Order: sequence, then structure tokens, then C-alpha cells
Amino acid sequence: MKKTQTPWRSLVNILLPVLLLALAIGFSYFVVQFPQDKVVERFVSYKKIMQLSRQHIYMVLVSSGLAIATSVPLGIFITRPKYKRIAPKVIDIVNIGQTIPSLAVVALFVGFLGIGARTAIFALWIYSLLPILNNTLAGILEVDPSIIESAKGMGMTPSRILARVELPLALPIIIAGIRTAITINIGSAILAAFIGAGGLGDFIIAGNNVNRWQILVLGASLPAFMAILADHLFTLLEKRISNYYTF
Amino acid sequence: MIRFENVTKKYGSKDKPAVDNLDLHIEEGEICILVGPSGCGKTTTMKMINRLIKQTSGKIFIGGKDIDAIDPIKLRLGIGYVIQGIGLFPHMTIEDNIATVPLEKGWDKQRISKRVDELLELVELAPDEYRKKRPSNLSGGQKQRVGVARALAADPPVMLMDEPFGALDPITRSRLQNEFLHIQEKLKKTIVFVTHDIDEAIKMGDKIAVMRDGNIVQFGTPYEILSNPADEFVSDLIGGNSTLKMMHLITCEKAMRVPFVVSQEEEIENILQSAQDRRIKILAVTDSSQRLVGFAEYKNLVNHHGKIGSIMKKVTNTVDVRMTLQDALSEMFSFGSKFVFVADHQRKVKGILNIDDLLKAVSEDEKNTDAMA
Repeated sequence: MKKTQTPWRSLVNILLPVLLLALAIGFSYFVVQFPQDKVVERFVSYKKIMQLSRQHIYMVLVSSGLAIATSVPLGIFITRPKYKRIAPKVIDIVNIGQTIPSLAVVALFVGFLGIGARTAIFALWIYSLLPILNNTLAGILEVDPSIIESAKGMGMTPSRILARVELPLALPIIIAGIRTAITINIGSAILAAFIGAGGLGDFIIAGNNVNRWQILVLGASLPAFMAILADHLFTLLEKRISNYYTF
Repeated sequence: MIRFENVTKKYGSKDKPAVDNLDLHIEEGEICILVGPSGCGKTTTMKMINRLIKQTSGKIFIGGKDIDAIDPIKLRLGIGYVIQGIGLFPHMTIEDNIATVPLEKGWDKQRISKRVDELLELVELAPDEYRKKRPSNLSGGQKQRVGVARALAADPPVMLMDEPFGALDPITRSRLQNEFLHIQEKLKKTIVFVTHDIDEAIKMGDKIAVMRDGNIVQFGTPYEILSNPADEFVSDLIGGNSTLKMMHLITCEKAMRVPFVVSQEEEIENILQSAQDRRIKILAVTDSSQRLVGFAEYKNLVNHHGKIGSIMKKVTNTVDVRMTLQDALSEMFSFGSKFVFVADHQRKVKGILNIDDLLKAVSEDEKNTDAMA
């Protein structure tokens, strides 16, 4: 991959996050300062927006962090020579798992764990395991076997090969998996509101119940801005790493 | 140095072994080529030496020690390894690539950095320019040089090379082969070299083991293999023209004639007579510091006056004294000339070769070998 970054491109890279932040703050300001009526005024305040956003981000970060901490080691484990043969089958199963709708996953776990943030985090964790595991497997399996063989032939131990060769080469793909997981999680965390775990989904439910578009749109747009922002930042990180490797 | 005793390797439940009861003794400081068609067991044989493949039965010794008694990691750290497709780490700089084995061995930073510079100079890549580059910025030939440097990093006595020059274009390959032979002259490593290219085997090998179906069909020096192939398989592998292939074995130094050298400042009149007496057709023309700059033909001297420099034609291509006659021949062909000058790296003329010289050298060589046999 050759560097195709023009000044125009890097300007977009900086402007996009600024624009997203401005939109989020601007729309929040608009709803709080110019509410449709008393009902909206009662539901929406800066404090409420901050509180629900914090809850939302907290659920996403904890569940994604747990997912990284489980999926990456699991992916490494499955790609060790002993188990490498089953890795493609694991990828198949993982892909089937990802077709289950997130709402179904959330609803399923209420049965076991009851309602609340813990259940929401658990469901989000399960749901984001798959993309990260998938990409960890793919990233490590894609490393050219001749590179690993030459490392082995030169006398590197398996753990050194993992740390110095396999993981660095798989890193951009693993990061891409984390990006997918976090982006999906930001959207899925809206569903947490249905099981009493809070988050920006609360606005959507409330807006729907009292039939006020301002509240509804606020609940829908803030997570959307977050998701685009997260996606953007991780894409930059990915590009940075792969550029670093090819330069 | 490396000894195989009744070594057999069977893969899985196949009846036919990949390597069948092999005995082989590779002397210290020699390049031993394993050559044969694909599936003949040459790569398997090589990989058993650093225990990338475990033999089914038999013993392998390096320097008298049974390799099964050595920890595989320690064993491999003491053996240089170069593979086809190079296997350089794409995410590391050239410096870090070369430092791989020293780093595994726990050398300190200063020692590693000094060694990297030494090696880059050895393979003729300027350290300041290349140390921080990445493999993707290098040409195939440059990558292969780095591959060799990396294998030499911790100065291992033994090197394994699996078709190291296989993926290169013919010109680059020939150049790297020559450079590698030059390096080997100084370092005297014990080298096991796998190739399917018989020309490469003849050129690079001190000994050649021709392999087929897991067996060694013939083991001997390139001369022995060329002049006395053991069976039809070996002579087929050598192909029709063994005389031409002999050219791989003779260096330009042995076949060249002393050229007639004149300075470009010389007056034509002054040398005409001596050139005529010695029946010189081609004169090598040098500058004031005796570097080759061009040549002049005798027939053009006759009708001209003034300095030699005025009728001189430029020379761009020369061959090195260490290059083989094969190189000289292809140099002549690619530049469409009937002769080529032999020069050292400072472009001082050492000799001249034409087609007749090549043919004479090869036929004399054959006579000698026949006399020996």
C-alpha cells in the first residue's frame, strides 16, 4: 500500500471529528434551549444528556474491553500449531453466530441474568466477541507461512515468533475487528434501555412514549455520531499501523 | 562437518519414504549442493539438519555431535537459514531483520548495531542508506542480499540455503551468485544449498549430490558429475551440452590473455609498430590512473594520426577475474561484441577474452580431466 494521503485527506481526518462533536453539542443545545413544549423540557436537560451518554459509553467500553481481553487470547490460542487445523471451522461458526440479531441476544440473557446494566454489558460482550475473534484468527492465519518458517528456522521460540512476528503482522486486521465490534456495540447499546440499563436508548423510548420528535431524534443521533466518530478514529489507527509496516 | 547416517524420513502412512536411507558427508568449509527435480527429497534432507523436520530413523551429526541431543532452538541459532521467497519480516526495518538472531542470542545493542553495519557492507548495501528501510522498499536482489546478511548475522559455522536465488531474474541471479562465492571465499562456511537448477549447482558447488526419489544418485565434484555422469538420469539432468556447462567451472582469470594496454594520451605512431609485431587486434585504452576507458582496433590505427584517445571507442562492460567463462560469454552476447575485457573492481585491465579463448579453455580443461580419469 502506497501512501496516498493528500493535504485534503488529512484535513478531512481532522475536520470530521470536530464536525461530529459540533453537531452533537449543537443539537443538544437546540433541544434544551428551544424545547417543543413543557413535556420535552421536563425530559431533557444537559444533566440528563450527560448522564445517559456516560452510561452508554461506559457499557460500550466495558463490554468491548472484555471482548478484546477474551477474543484476542482465544484467537491466539486457536491459531497455535496444535489447534490450527480447527481454526477455519471456528471462523465458520463465528460467522453464523454473527447473524443472530442483537435484540435477540439482549432479550435472551434477561431470562438468565434479570434486568440491569450487568445484563446489558454481558449481552454486548457476547455480541462483540465474534468480530474480534474472527479478525484475530484471520489476521494470524494470513501471515505468510514462509515468514513464520524462516523465523522458526533461525531459532526463534514459538512465543517469540508470536510476539515479534505473528501479532505485529496481524495487528491491523485485529484493530479492524475491534473497530467493527465497537461500532456495532454503540448501536446495540441503545437496546440496553429496554432492560432498564439506561443509556441513550432511554431517550428513544421516552420520545416514543410521549410522542415528541426532539427527544426521539436526540436519542437516535447521539449514538450515531459516536459510532461514526469511533469508526473514523479506528480507521485512522489501522491505516497508521499498516502504513508504518509498508514504509 | 555434517554427516547423515542411514537417515530415512517417512511422511504419515505413505509407503514410499521422502528420504530413503541416506548417507552423506559434507566437509567443513564446503558448499554442498542438493540438486534434483521437485519431490526428490532435497528440501526434506536440508530441513532435517536444523530439525525443522524430524527424521523417522537414522542419525545426523554436526561437528561430531548428534543433533537430536541438542536443544532445537540452540541448534537453529547456530545455523544460518536462507529460504526462497526470502522470508524477511515485512514489518521490521532491514536493521531489525538482520539483528534477529543476535537479538535472540541476547547480544547488547552496540554489538548488534556494529554487526549490522559490517554485514550490510559485506553484501554491498550502504548501511546508512539501507539500515532504516523496510523490505517492501527493496528490489528482489537487494532483499536476497539482506536474507544472506541475516543468515550470517551471528557468524554461524553452518548455513542452509533453500533455493536462495530462485526468484531472481537471470542477470541479478548470476551477479548474486558471484558475490556469494566471493563472500564464501573469505568466510569458509559449511553450506548446504538446495536447488533444482543444475547450472546453479555446477557453478556454486564444491560438491554436488544429485537426488532422485529420496536417494542420492551421484555425489561428487561438479567436474566428476559433468564428465562422468553415473547414469542416464544424471546425464539427462545435466542436459546435452556439458562442454558449455564446463564454462561455469573455469574463472576468467584462468583463460584470459594479457592485453595490449596503452594510455589514451599515447601517439598512434609510437605504438603502431609494436602492435603490428605482436599481431594485436584490440588495444585496451586507459586513462592517466590506468583505469580502463575504452578500446581501439588495430585496423583503425593504420590510417590515423594523433592520440589514441581520438579514435578510441568507449567500453562499459567488463567481467571480473573471479567470474566464470559463462559470465564472460553472456556478457559478450548481451553487448554483441566478440571480446570482453577482464578488469578488477577499480577497472584496472587484467586481461582480454574472446570466443576462441573460451573454447580453447574448455577443451583444454576436458583433456586435463580425461587425463586424470
